[in-house]
Amino acid sequence: MIGTAYRVEMSKVFSKWRTFIGFIAIGALIPVVVAAMGIEGGQYLGFATQALQQTFDFTGNLMNGYTVSYIIFGMLYVHVPFLVTLVAGEILAGEATAGTYRLLLTRPLSRGTMVTAKFLATLTYTNMLVIFMAALSLGLGVSLLGTGEVVVIRSQITIIAENDLWWRFALAYGFAAMSMTTVASVAFMFSSLVENAIGPIMTTMAIIIVMTIVSAIDIPMFDFVRPLFFTNHMNGWKFLFDDPVNWTKVYTSAGVLLTHIAGCFVATQIIMRRKDILS
Amino acid sequence: MTAPAIEINDLHKHYGAFHAVDGLNLRVSQGDVYGFLGPNGAGKSTTIRMMLSLIRPTSGTIKLFGLDLHNNRNEILRRIGAIVERPDFYNYLTARRNLELLGRLSGADVSTRSIDHILGIVGLASRASSKVKTFSHGMKQRLGIAQALLHSPDLIVLDEPTTGLDPQGMVDIRDLILELAADHKKTVFLSSHILPEVELTASRMVIINRGKAVVEGAVQDLLNAGRLKVTIETTEVTRALEIIRATPLTHHIQSHTDDKIIMMMERDEIAGIVAHLSAANIPLSAVSPVRSLEEYFIALTQEAP
Repeated sequence: MIGTAYRVEMSKVFSKWRTFIGFIAIGALIPVVVAAMGIEGGQYLGFATQALQQTFDFTGNLMNGYTVSYIIFGMLYVHVPFLVTLVAGEILAGEATAGTYRLLLTRPLSRGTMVTAKFLATLTYTNMLVIFMAALSLGLGVSLLGTGEVVVIRSQITIIAENDLWWRFALAYGFAAMSMTTVASVAFMFSSLVENAIGPIMTTMAIIIVMTIVSAIDIPMFDFVRPLFFTNHMNGWKFLFDDPVNWTKVYTSAGVLLTHIAGCFVATQIIMRRKDILS
Repeated sequence: MTAPAIEINDLHKHYGAFHAVDGLNLRVSQGDVYGFLGPNGAGKSTTIRMMLSLIRPTSGTIKLFGLDLHNNRNEILRRIGAIVERPDFYNYLTARRNLELLGRLSGADVSTRSIDHILGIVGLASRASSKVKTFSHGMKQRLGIAQALLHSPDLIVLDEPTTGLDPQGMVDIRDLILELAADHKKTVFLSSHILPEVELTASRMVIINRGKAVVEGAVQDLLNAGRLKVTIETTEVTRALEIIRATPLTHHIQSHTDDKIIMMMERDEIAGIVAHLSAANIPLSAVSPVRSLEEYFIALTQEAP
């Protein structure tokens, strides 16, 4: 029954206009970014490495497809969570708004099955969005700007060789999918509490903003809670571009994100099992 | 012996201090068309939602087909088709697509052919490919009935099924209910505010008020019980009133006009009154006893504490 319920949910998700907003936004944004990087990327990279160029000589195709993909990765934080919540925040609340819980929950499928099917549909959408972003940025970047090394400037400078990049990108996109799944899970949980999709979308975005602000404020009293915020672990993919990779940090961040995902899923199951359908 | 289609025992639903359903007992036999009546806020929809496991009872038991709803939810819901209040659908999908998806979730093998057949029954065959957002309320109501019948359920729960339908639509649905019970041996649980609808379709009924059953029984028995409102039309109202007042019968004159007297009396007293008036040569143009469910309903729900 879970398979049937999942297919029905996917069918509903991909019959809605809002589902395609994310793909359209990413599909419009990435070509613009890649084209801009192709035209003016040299200046961008020159500015970023200005101090280093006084000491080192940079040669080769540094503004290549991989570098562009790496930069686009950093944008995940900014707009993809919003695109994810458009669907995740609506998937349960939308049934309440439309009054269709009554149709759905008078069918011979348990509430647990219904919630699981909707959660899997949300995960599928979220991962499709991340995969689409990965394929478009890497595909377009490499085909327009070619390949080369990636210069990673963090607390240290790391130049990653071309043949050492693919597995990092694969794991990084996997990690990004997990980060976005966390955002989707939070929106999904809030979606079970209300009867209007705007609420979960706004609440999730507000939580991301508040957590980001609290994390940025260097006050000791926040030191205890800061490591628990999922927003502090969403950019854990960056550790995969260190050399050597700090696996402990990667695992810790992944653990925090997975805990949030599992927590939100279990909370949603409990909320929905106890919920009286009055809409 | 066949288990009752619905058996509700001491059902309660409390929202804080408010008792939406307060110790309701019901028993509906298989094959019955059962009327479920009550004024607004009586607890009808709450009861129906509990029967369909949309809301959890505070206490009490609900058995359908002899099975406890709490422990056999999916098995029971496989045998029920329902409309609960407003007919809402996925507006961005077509009528046919809505039924396809709901059919899949119903656990039955619902073919495209059977979907088209059901859309034909409810008069929506020509709009099968239209998105539901273009439908009127009446069309959604028809689609609601279609989805309730889709998986050929044994028990059909209809909450105000003719709301928003035109007169022909109401007749069609009434005929469909009678056909479902008579030809297909389905049990129909019909909640309605349109009392003649229940009068014309149901074999048994219950009237609930403030979460409790006020009266339950066969519709005709309930209609025949108690006093009737009788209208006597005559050109000699004053003389007729004198004669009626002089009779030893237990009538009660409610009102009168220049050509009409309205009074309450027992059914078996009508002949006596007519005999007295005829003996006094009072010209009678009509004697009309009226015992509508509507009056019975109002009387009962007003009497209830």
